[in-house]
Amino acid sequence: MKTQITFTRKLWYVTILMMVAFAFSPMYGQSTAQQGKTIKGIVSNVHGPLEGVNIILKGANEGTVSNKKGEYTFPVALKPGDVLLFSYLGYRSVEFKIKPETSFIKTVMSDEVIEFMGDLNTDKRYKSKRKN
Amino acid sequence: MKVFIRYTFLFIFVFQSNAQLADFKSIDFEKADAIALEYKDETLHNLPDLSSKLTSNLTTDAARFRAIFKWVCSNVANDYYLYSKNKRKRLRYKNDSLRLKDWNYRFNKIVFEKLLDDRKTICTGYAYLIKELANLAGIDCEIVHGFARTSTMNIKNLDVPNHSWNAVKLNGKWYLCDPTWASGIPNPSSAQFEFQFNDGFFLSDPHIFSVNHFPADEKWFLLEDAKPTFEAFLEAPIIYGQAYAHFNSHNAPQKLENTVRKNEAVIFKLQLQKNIQKEDVTLVVENTFHEYKVKPEMVSIENLSLTIGHKFTATGYYDVHLYIKKDLISSYSFEVKKATSK
Repeated sequence: MKTQITFTRKLWYVTILMMVAFAFSPMYGQSTAQQGKTIKGIVSNVHGPLEGVNIILKGANEGTVSNKKGEYTFPVALKPGDVLLFSYLGYRSVEFKIKPETSFIKTVMSDEVIEFMGDLNTDKRYKSKRKN
Repeated sequence: MKVFIRYTFLFIFVFQSNAQLADFKSIDFEKADAIALEYKDETLHNLPDLSSKLTSNLTTDAARFRAIFKWVCSNVANDYYLYSKNKRKRLRYKNDSLRLKDWNYRFNKIVFEKLLDDRKTICTGYAYLIKELANLAGIDCEIVHGFARTSTMNIKNLDVPNHSWNAVKLNGKWYLCDPTWASGIPNPSSAQFEFQFNDGFFLSDPHIFSVNHFPADEKWFLLEDAKPTFEAFLEAPIIYGQAYAHFNSHNAPQKLENTVRKNEAVIFKLQLQKNIQKEDVTLVVENTFHEYKVKPEMVSIENLSLTIGHKFTATGYYDVHLYIKKDLISSYSFEVKKATSK
C-alpha cells in the first residue's frame, strides 16, 4: 500500500515535471526570439549632425539623447514593431518603426517653420479719441 | 437585476448631468496644478520627458491638459523685446512675401533658441509648446492663428494676423484656450511682463472668446450660432482679461462706439459664470475733464444674466468702463445727443 502511493506520487512528479518542461520550453524559445537587438543611429539636419535630440521608445519610459556627433545607442534592445520617436524643440518630430532587418537608423530632421507673431493682452484702460 | 437597472440609470443620470455642468468646471484641477508647480524647474530640452512627468499621474485628459497648460503659462515668460522686433519686421515686410518668408525663417531660429535657453517666447511659442506637449501626451491639440484686439491696439493696423492660441479636443469636444493671455500681462507702469495666471483663458466659452479673438479659419470660432463678421469684430467693445474670469458671453452693447439720446436708457447685457452681488457692479464714466463712479440706476441678475441700465443726463462724449468689484471688465464710448423734441 505504502509503496503504491509513493509510486503514484513519483508518477505525478514526473508528469508535472514533464508538463512544466514542455510548457516552458516553447515560451522560453519565444522570449529569446522577441528579445530584439541593440539599435544604433545618427540624427542630423541639412547642415550636419544634431546634438541633444531626444529619442524615446513610444509607450515606454525608455529613451536617450544624441551626442555631439549626432550619434546614439538605444539603451534597451528593440524588437520589430517598436516605434522610436525623435523629438527636438524647433524640429518636426519623426517616428521610426523598427523592422526585422533594422540595426542602424539614419534620421534627418527638418525645421518646424511656424509663423511667429504675438500681441500681448493689457489691462490699460481704453481711452477713446472722440472729444467734446 | 432591479438593483442593477436602478444603478445603471443612476449612473447615466449622474454622468449626463455632470457633463452639462460647464463640462469640466466640476473636475478638480488642484492635483494637476500641484504637479505643474512641482516641476517648475524643468527645462524644455526634453519635451517627451516633461510631458510624461506632467501627465502620467493624472487620470483624465482634461486634468492632463490642465497640468500642461498651467506649467507652460507659469514658466514661460513673454519676451517683449522679441515681440516688438518681430512686429516691426512683419510690418515692414508686409507686402514683400519673399523677405517676410526669409525673416520668418531666421526668426524661427531665434525663437526656438530663446525658448530652450531662457524659457521666454511670444504667443505662437506658447501655442506651439502647448500643442507639442499635449500631442506627446496623446491629446489632440491645434494652434489657431488669427486676430486679437486689446484696449491699446490701433485697429486700423489690424490687417495681418497678430495672435495665436489653441484649440484642444477633450472627450470628443473642442475647446478654446489662450495661453499667452493666461500667463500674465505687462505691468501697467513698468511695461515689464509679470506672471499672473488668469483661469478665464483656460477652456473659455467660445462666445466671450469671439468678442476679441477672430480666427483666420472660421471653424475655430467653435460657435454653432451666428459667427461674427470681421467688421462686427472690429467694432466690438473692448473687453479685458478679467471679463473671462467673470463672464461667459457679452451681449450688449455690441459696439465700442455708440450714439444715444440724452435720458435714453442704455442697456448692458452679459452672461455671468457665477452669481455676484448687485452692489459689486460699478460703471466709471469719463469725459474730457471728469471721471466719476456711478452705481447704475438698474441692475438685474436673473439666471446668471446680468443686465445694467444707465442714462446720460447731459450731452457730450463719454467713455464708460464696467467694473465688477475692482476688476475692469469692458469699455465703451458714447456720444450723447440732445433728446428728440416731442
